[in-house]
Amino acid sequence: MGPWVGIPVLLLAVALQTTLVPQVRLWDGGPDLVFLCVLAWSLRAPLQEGVAWAFAGGIMQDLLSVAPTGQSVIGLVLLVFTVNLLTQQLSRTGLPVLALLAGAGTLAQQLLVWLLFALQGFSVDFLDDLGYVIFPTVIYNLVLIWPVFALLRVLQQRVEARQIVTA
Amino acid sequence: MVRAWRANRILFLVLCLLLCLALIGLSRAGLLGPLEELASVPLNLVTGVMNRAVLSLTGGVSDLTRLQTLQQTNAALEEALAELTAELVELREIARDYERMAERLDYTSTAANQEFVAANVISNDQTGLRRSITVDRGTRDGIAAGMPVVTAQGLVGRVLEISANASRVLLVTDRDSAVSSRLQTTRVQGSLRGQLSGNLRLTLVPPGESVVVGDLVLTSGLGGNFPPDIVIGQVASTRQFQFELFQEAEIISFNNFDELEVVLVMTSFEPVDPDVFDDAAA
Repeated sequence: MGPWVGIPVLLLAVALQTTLVPQVRLWDGGPDLVFLCVLAWSLRAPLQEGVAWAFAGGIMQDLLSVAPTGQSVIGLVLLVFTVNLLTQQLSRTGLPVLALLAGAGTLAQQLLVWLLFALQGFSVDFLDDLGYVIFPTVIYNLVLIWPVFALLRVLQQRVEARQIVTA
Repeated sequence: MVRAWRANRILFLVLCLLLCLALIGLSRAGLLGPLEELASVPLNLVTGVMNRAVLSLTGGVSDLTRLQTLQQTNAALEEALAELTAELVELREIARDYERMAERLDYTSTAANQEFVAANVISNDQTGLRRSITVDRGTRDGIAAGMPVVTAQGLVGRVLEISANASRVLLVTDRDSAVSSRLQTTRVQGSLRGQLSGNLRLTLVPPGESVVVGDLVLTSGLGGNFPPDIVIGQVASTRQFQFELFQEAEIISFNNFDELEVVLVMTSFEPVDPDVFDDAAA
């Protein structure tokens, strides 16, 4: 059921991303809601479910952008695998781990998207993009990971409880 | 068992990454077009509804904050209106003279009788690195790639990608956008490029030419991508360094690109493809 729950959640995240986020941008950076949802969900979900979320979220993002379909998925898939690896090593994911994943993960995802744009011949300027877009996005994501994680955790617990009842 | 799962996981990761690269390749080659179009329909529907709600919400909040400055603006506008009314009368006289002279010369202007299709903005580009919008009109409404997009405040951009019921518009503020432009009073020509900050910069202006702050910037029509005389913005500042071959000017658009609700697609204008001449020469 987890992957199916992802569709309305990610649809809402993408819709907010393309409508509300442009209104609250800090310089040119805004929260990456799809990234936050995929990260928060994959912390407690099986690997396959996280990958399904990464594909669904990334493709939805790319369909509403000039980027080719699949560009945003690469970073999200790598994120899900990293999260899965980390959660297996650690006994519990506390606040520092969450902050680290949100900060470093956003930086990696943004740099990857930047690199793919550059490789495809779009105009890019590394220092400007880093200062105006990437760093503000990292800051936003560091702040917003807590409420997104809390909301999705509640949803995840409900989905799990329902799965147990139906089983 | 653990080793097998690890190997499987690496294989799974490699397969996922290969799938992503295949998607990118197919998308860039345009082979995913029909599927992308189909998948975009529910997305465009949801974002369209959401965009209207967000814009009305943010519009209401900003209206409240602007209420205080409205009285001052109103007084200033009334003064300006009085001055402009006198100017309008004078300009109407000039226009009549021009029409009479144009009739004698049998001159027809391409700027007249343009046809437009109004379109609602349904989403903005989700990456901060690019600047584009999606509108809810497509090939069904007679829109084609390359058509200019405007508002009453001036040029917005041009249609980049298109589906049956939606189009993606590359804004003039995108760094990959270049518009041949000229200044209204001095007729100085240059190339207008988008900046990361969302501002516009007039480049390739010869060093000796006069660029006056406050002058209007219009499309020149050179290159055939845009019709001439569409307002783009106003010169905010100029700069010229000794070691540079050209001078530059910062341009402020009259459009607020983050709060666009309705735009007009100029359906009567067909952009010229200069590659045809290159192919013919080859």
